[in-house]
Amino acid sequence: MKKTVSTPISRRLVLGAAVTAAGLALSGCGGGGSAPAAGGGNVELNFVYWGDATRAKMTDAAIKIFEEKNPGITVKSEYQDSGPYADKLATRFAGGNPPDVLNMANRSLLEYAQRGTLADLRSLQELDLADIPDTIQSRGEVDGKLYGLATGVTTIGMVVNKAITDQAGVIIPDDKTWSWEDYAKFATEVTQKTGGKVYGAGYDVATETGPILFARQRGEDFYTKDNKLGVSEETIREWFQYSVDLRAAGGYPPAGFFEQIGGSAAQSYLAKGTVASQIIPINNYKAYNEAAGGNVVLLRMPGETTEERRGYSADPSMLWSIAAKSKHPREAAKLLNFLINDADGAAETLTQRGVPINPEVADAIKPKLGKDDIAFVDMVAAIQEDDLAPAYVYPKGASVVADTLKQLATEVEFGRVTPADAARTFLEKSNAAINK
Amino acid sequence: MSVLTKQAPGAAATLAAPGGKPGGTRPKRKNQRSGYLFLLPWFVGMLFTIIPFFASLYLAFTDYNLFTEPNFVGLTNFQALFEDPRLLQSLKVTFIYTFVSVPISLAVALLIAIVLNRGLQGLAIYRSVYYLPSLLGGSVAIVMLWRYIFGNDGIVNGALGQLGIQGPAWVTDPEFALSTLIVLNVWTFGSPMVIFLAGLRQVPTMYYEAASIDGASRWRQFRSITLPLISPIIFFNLIMQLIGSFQTFTQGYVMSGGTGGPADSTLFYNLYLYQKGFTEFEMGYASAMAWLLLMIIAIFTAINFIASKFWVFYDN
Repeated sequence: MKKTVSTPISRRLVLGAAVTAAGLALSGCGGGGSAPAAGGGNVELNFVYWGDATRAKMTDAAIKIFEEKNPGITVKSEYQDSGPYADKLATRFAGGNPPDVLNMANRSLLEYAQRGTLADLRSLQELDLADIPDTIQSRGEVDGKLYGLATGVTTIGMVVNKAITDQAGVIIPDDKTWSWEDYAKFATEVTQKTGGKVYGAGYDVATETGPILFARQRGEDFYTKDNKLGVSEETIREWFQYSVDLRAAGGYPPAGFFEQIGGSAAQSYLAKGTVASQIIPINNYKAYNEAAGGNVVLLRMPGETTEERRGYSADPSMLWSIAAKSKHPREAAKLLNFLINDADGAAETLTQRGVPINPEVADAIKPKLGKDDIAFVDMVAAIQEDDLAPAYVYPKGASVVADTLKQLATEVEFGRVTPADAARTFLEKSNAAINK
Repeated sequence: MSVLTKQAPGAAATLAAPGGKPGGTRPKRKNQRSGYLFLLPWFVGMLFTIIPFFASLYLAFTDYNLFTEPNFVGLTNFQALFEDPRLLQSLKVTFIYTFVSVPISLAVALLIAIVLNRGLQGLAIYRSVYYLPSLLGGSVAIVMLWRYIFGNDGIVNGALGQLGIQGPAWVTDPEFALSTLIVLNVWTFGSPMVIFLAGLRQVPTMYYEAASIDGASRWRQFRSITLPLISPIIFFNLIMQLIGSFQTFTQGYVMSGGTGGPADSTLFYNLYLYQKGFTEFEMGYASAMAWLLLMIIAIFTAINFIASKFWVFYDN
């Protein structure tokens, strides 16, 4: 034992450690990227997309066919969940090391395109756009140039677990003519007849695809042709109010019920059997039906015949883009051409990313589809039988709009703000983000 | 980060050894050389901090958006900071989190360290058990686990249900989400505890012996011997916890799926900074935010250093 007491930590030391620890926060910003090594003779393409393991397996099978058909090109693909994918993509572009071929979200297209980071797809000879309908191409156009091509076409729909409604003795209304009121009545009845064990409605209030359709039914474009916000305060208020009323009636779960953020079909509340219906992008119908026990029916959204006009639109599930800085634009264009025009490749990926945008490819794969995917394809065709109002590219700032909607939906859910106040705030914040 | 901070004490101790005389004796100079040699990895690592450090200082005065070349915009970003309601919200969240969880976790750490220091059987096991959470607390897996423990069907509400209490939605209710994270942070008291334990070991037993002979009570001994002698360690832990807490990111990110929700109730400063930089692509603004945070941390650290003159006891 020492005679004098020596404290092991001095004042200077604490200061030094403090400076180090604080300084580290700053190094999080800024950054660098490493240049990819060029392979001799053989071109390696970097191909990135978001999705789950099922999607990756199907995509890998298609990529293998591409590599066989294109000797000299190898494809290095990477996939992630959509959230982390978006973050990583941004960093890679910032670091000057973007992937060659990539998945682009509808809501991010303008952000990337207007900053000159994407290649104009019409300038690439290897890409054949002859069979791609103009209506589809328009959803990837920014300032007259083509920066994104739909991976496939989808839309949203209502899925109902018929096993639950049959057992409860609730009849599902005719979805060709049902109104929002009918849906509310139906949902409330399910909750009542299951003794509160199952909530009739479990749709997501906070995802923008719902209010986009709702606004269209009310004669408004959520996002307009000139890339502005077109939805009215009144419509957003109604959208929030509808969920508040449905919750009060018992058809919708109480505040705080939904905990799962994002998540796959298997993790959904529909699969757990605690809600009887949900709104989904209908290219995922097969996954939901399998996860929820195989007795899920795919329905149209309510209000299509009872509101001012039809709300449906056939939308890109997501987009393919090529980086402007790609070192191998020709090979990248070949890969993209394969993804949209090659029936052999599509025979592996089927309708995972929506109905193929080349009608010939869509027809070619039809015999290979299972009954759930056929139901999906048929519904996409059926909603387009009438003329639908045109839909437009998402504006710059659309990701802030999506975040704002999510935040306000929670505020409304817990009764911290009224639907009217939330609608006003939504318009203020969204307009500020879009007009910036 | 923890690697660097942990190296720092060792580094300073080595440097302190040669003392004030620059041209010391031979063995001393040799010591110095090997000291720097051991520090080499740290210096190399430091380069990766310093370059982005100055890059962010420059970017804070630009409109850098990740994609196009940055343009100099002067103080615009810093002016915008003060008109941003979400920034205020993120400061509020971070301050509440820090000022509630740091004192509690330090108190718990000290208490457990004192108990462990009384010569328990199997001390190593206890020490590991209590230390483990602080290794894991910042990890994604533990935050996910926390979500389940405090989930609607989790064990916390299960236990409350047994008592006939309807528990709130700990994770999804804006009123409760932050407190759930505070509990998580308090639970990771292990690393200050280990440092306290080391400090308690340094207090010579003869002081206690002498005090017992004089008839001082245990509480009196704690107040008059333990506390003053370990006050530099309390100070060190306080500063480190404070800085760590101001920079909280992972817990908020994972718990809310990156949104800072529900309703911005867990929007930590660094999480908002990240959103600005990587989802809204306003990297210039994000850099300005980083420098504001540095200033805030510097101010609080300075206040603590000034205040420490009144309660931290240095023997040498």
